[in-house]
Amino acid sequence: MIIALITIIPLLAATLSAMIKRNTKFLEFFTVISAGTIFVSSIIISKQVLANQIYTYLPYFKVSAFGAILLLLTSFIGLIASLYSIGYMRTEIKKEVIGFTRVRQYFVLLNLFLMSMVFAITFTSPVMTWVAVEATTLSTAFLISFYNKSSSMEAAWKYLIINSVGLLLAFFGTLLFLAGPMSIVGGHTLISWNDLLTNANALNPVIIKIAFVFILIGYGTKMGLVPMHTWLPDAHSKAPVPISSLLSGVLLNIALFTILKFKIVADASVGANFSQGLLVYFGLASILLSALLIYLQTNYKRLLAYSTIEHMGIIALGFGFGGIGVFAAILHMIYHSLAKPLLFLTSGNIFLKFSSTKIAKVSGVLKALPVTGVLFLIGIFAITGVPPFGIFLTEFSILAAGIRSHPAITAFTLLALVLVFIGFLKHATSMIFGEKPEDITTGESSYWNTVPLIVLAAVLIFLSVYLPGPLRLLIERATTIL
Amino acid sequence: MENLIPTQILYLADLLIFFSVILIHLTKRNVYFVYLYAVQSLIVTFLMAYSSFANHSLPLGILALLIFALKVIAAPGFFLRLIKKQTLMSMTESYLNLPLTLAGIAAITMITHSRFFTPLSTLAPVNENALLISISTMFISLFLIINRKGALSQMVGILSLENAIVAFAIAAGLEQGLGLELGIAFDICAWIVIATVFVSMIYKKFHTLDVSVMTKLKG
Repeated sequence: MIIALITIIPLLAATLSAMIKRNTKFLEFFTVISAGTIFVSSIIISKQVLANQIYTYLPYFKVSAFGAILLLLTSFIGLIASLYSIGYMRTEIKKEVIGFTRVRQYFVLLNLFLMSMVFAITFTSPVMTWVAVEATTLSTAFLISFYNKSSSMEAAWKYLIINSVGLLLAFFGTLLFLAGPMSIVGGHTLISWNDLLTNANALNPVIIKIAFVFILIGYGTKMGLVPMHTWLPDAHSKAPVPISSLLSGVLLNIALFTILKFKIVADASVGANFSQGLLVYFGLASILLSALLIYLQTNYKRLLAYSTIEHMGIIALGFGFGGIGVFAAILHMIYHSLAKPLLFLTSGNIFLKFSSTKIAKVSGVLKALPVTGVLFLIGIFAITGVPPFGIFLTEFSILAAGIRSHPAITAFTLLALVLVFIGFLKHATSMIFGEKPEDITTGESSYWNTVPLIVLAAVLIFLSVYLPGPLRLLIERATTIL
Repeated sequence: MENLIPTQILYLADLLIFFSVILIHLTKRNVYFVYLYAVQSLIVTFLMAYSSFANHSLPLGILALLIFALKVIAAPGFFLRLIKKQTLMSMTESYLNLPLTLAGIAAITMITHSRFFTPLSTLAPVNENALLISISTMFISLFLIINRKGALSQMVGILSLENAIVAFAIAAGLEQGLGLELGIAFDICAWIVIATVFVSMIYKKFHTLDVSVMTKLKG
């Protein structure tokens, strides 16, 4: 029943927000209540998953251990992004960059975006999951074009076209997967993930291989894997930062989650080697290309976007290597989902202060924005895998998992990670330290833009040094399934 | 699943869809490719309606009506209005010239009839030709999206890709599944509306639908 709440509340919040005529406070209130409800409901659902292995509601909704982890991440980052949005939008209104209509559009779409992501995680049917992922594309396209500038329109169009093509290919792959079970269970019911797995042996192995390639290319586009990544740096750098944080920290994980669900079915039919090999090569390509572009980057939002591609590559590599790599990949996904929104949101504060996304035009962040500067530094250390942050441990574990089976790939990955570290350090040093420009005043824009980030950083640090038992159990169960 | 559409009719329809995409590639005038897209959608509607009658399936009938209303009437109508209103009667440029485009189409058709894709014909061995020609149509539509500079052409390319997937599903006997019906219905309703809004926004912002002018984002 709680799942109904989690899906209806954001829809209600979006509908009520659409009816508001003047007062932005109502928009903020509806969104925070909606995001808060989703977060509390996710905790309740996760507790039920811990107690009963899975949570189900009607034949249409099911949450497994991996689903519970994603639900917790989505709702937590969703809540942080919603709270941050209040301060961000107020500052943009104050600067007369946007008006009330834009803010209303933003909050309506934000709620629809959150709802689509929750649906994508909880649906039992692969087709309904596809519909939900497609819905995320459609709702976020307008959020990316939010500023209505030429560059944001360009990013949004690219995002819409590339992701639509990708998702149509994923739909084709889904149809191929459904062909086997349809001949057994019949077509006039919604075939579930469970039906797919139960009838995995009835599937033609060659068709399953072709279908999985389409799935990987299709959802891999959404996940930002190289070479289907081209939309990602543009979209992440042009969207308002709370949306970038959700795209990077949550949405890409959902695309990965869907790929992994198909991987389980494909593995049952053709063995794990096929899907693992593909994940390793797509992962490596993503890491190598992004490492190079991170080093050469001149725009700090694009820097973070390429870092997202790099981390998606590392996660894909972990699942590709298998063994301990799977546990490490899930944990890596969690740390990345916390660290990247922290970086995007702090970069939002930097943008609000410096009015530029060019690395060369930003200096002395620590002096201009003392709290943001420290949080940005924490984010940089976390994302580059500096100990004691958890990403150090997960990257180390993934490389350890691959060193025997794929020594050359592991060596290239290690070199790329060193390049990423040097690149980040070079850019971050020039931004954080040094003297701030004279026309830039000292001070944070509002509590809304700092307090949620302090909470996010605290959770990131806490989980880096201590993994609570229930979370460990969820990860272990998810690892067993995968 | 059993397919109740006669093999020859299915193959002929899929061939017509295949040729319509090639013609869309060859034509440079915006108006012509909108008409070609409407014809292509009409053939898909016919296949869906035929399947609906043959299987006595109401959901398929509703889907056929939806495809007709949105893909044969509404979307082409919107495109034509946009073309007339914003005087986009002129040519839409491609990245590759005509001989190279034709060579690309020939290569795609050969690859999709090679041993990499022939296993897909086991889904419905009796419709092998129709299945493989639908796969060719899918990839040629993808090629259209990549090769054309116009936002309108890219949009038609995506819609054409969708038509090719539906044609493949019908040839494979997968159209009777609730999955295809739900997926396509959602895509038609939501995607067309949103993409058309975007096309209008792009024209307002750039005063052209040529996406090669969008060069602000690099690196």
